[in-house]
Amino acid sequence: MTDRNADPSAAPVGDRRTVRQSLEEYGRGVAGGLLFSLPFLYTMEIWWSGFQTQPAHLLAYMAVTFLLLLGYNRFAGMRRDANLLEVCIDSVEEMGIGLLLAALVLFLIDQITTEMTAIEIMGKIVVESMTIAVGVSVGTAQLGASGADAKTGLEADEARSADSAANDASGAAQPPPSTIGQLVLAFCGAILFASNVAPTDEIFEIGMAASALKLLGLSALSLLVGAIALFFSDFRGAEAHVRRGGLFAVLFALITSYCAALLAAGLMLWFFQRFEDMPLMIAVAQVIVLAFPAMLGASAGRLLIQ
Amino acid sequence: MSKIEKNWLEWSVFVISLALVVSVLSYLSYQALFAKSTPPVLVVELGSAQRQNGYYELPVTVHNRGSQTAEAVQIEVRLTKPDDTHEQAGFEIQFMPPRSSRRGVVTFEADPRTAERLSGRALGYQAP
Repeated sequence: MTDRNADPSAAPVGDRRTVRQSLEEYGRGVAGGLLFSLPFLYTMEIWWSGFQTQPAHLLAYMAVTFLLLLGYNRFAGMRRDANLLEVCIDSVEEMGIGLLLAALVLFLIDQITTEMTAIEIMGKIVVESMTIAVGVSVGTAQLGASGADAKTGLEADEARSADSAANDASGAAQPPPSTIGQLVLAFCGAILFASNVAPTDEIFEIGMAASALKLLGLSALSLLVGAIALFFSDFRGAEAHVRRGGLFAVLFALITSYCAALLAAGLMLWFFQRFEDMPLMIAVAQVIVLAFPAMLGASAGRLLIQ
Repeated sequence: MSKIEKNWLEWSVFVISLALVVSVLSYLSYQALFAKSTPPVLVVELGSAQRQNGYYELPVTVHNRGSQTAEAVQIEVRLTKPDDTHEQAGFEIQFMPPRSSRRGVVTFEADPRTAERLSGRALGYQAP
């Protein structure tokens, strides 16, 4: 696949990559960015939210995305010896690529024209680019090559914690290693999946019409699907990351995943101003409706994305 | 802390990205801090009429001079004929982003060029 594996003179771990290798990496990032966010780019509600959103809101959105990127790059990124500075650099690059891709696609689908004002164009680009940036980050780490040198941050963590676990007799009673890392990945996956549907009117429609009993059912289905994805299927990583530690760890992982999903859903809905002038019941209903795709993303985030 | 190794391509991608992100951030911060938030101000501008398939077409340009978006804007143009009867025509604009302009067309049976009075306004809009 990549000549990194075929060519013995290729740069060893931690050294400078060749231009060709970087190009491959950016290529994967661009493909991933578009793959995950194309539904987002083709949705009217998102173009509209670009100019309906206040600048301060957009700034907060960028800040949250940057934190997400930092978290993702730290725990699942491509870089082996990821120190904070490198993680920051990667995150800035992903945001930049996201901005460029968003501007290009929006221009080609005629959503940026010369008649529009700067703030309208800027709003659209920013809203679209943040999902693309997360997609770029996931694409870079996930698509294609994972050679021996592609040890992710999480695996490096586990190697470290495995050493410490050997000295620790009460290891079984503790939560599984790198709980924070797992949570960050669950949250990233939830945001990535939920963002594609969060701004659509359908979430509101469903939230308004669904009865409390059906919402409870939806919530139960979310948990069930999450449980299947996390524990019973053959997803890559399920064995290593979740099953150890018995029933408590199993429940712990399920509940924290659903919490991440609910939080992601709430955050997205708040950003797209779906809570304004809304009775509490409908606000909660919307969160539960959106938490279903978010839970799928969260489960996948824990297992697939790494 | 290990030294950061990057080739020229990675450095250029980083520098361009940093420039982009910083300029977007400063633009948004500027807007957030200094741009006043004024409600939509809708101005209707009428063009000159053209005869078209037996009726008259009148181009209309609507401007939003405020800094908030107006939704579901209803535009109405009212034509007063010399015999003091009225004719109305209008259209709806789904969204008027801040400081944007949208174009539309209204049609009349009477000739707007010989009308007694011709006036256009936004009947109403949904608040952002």
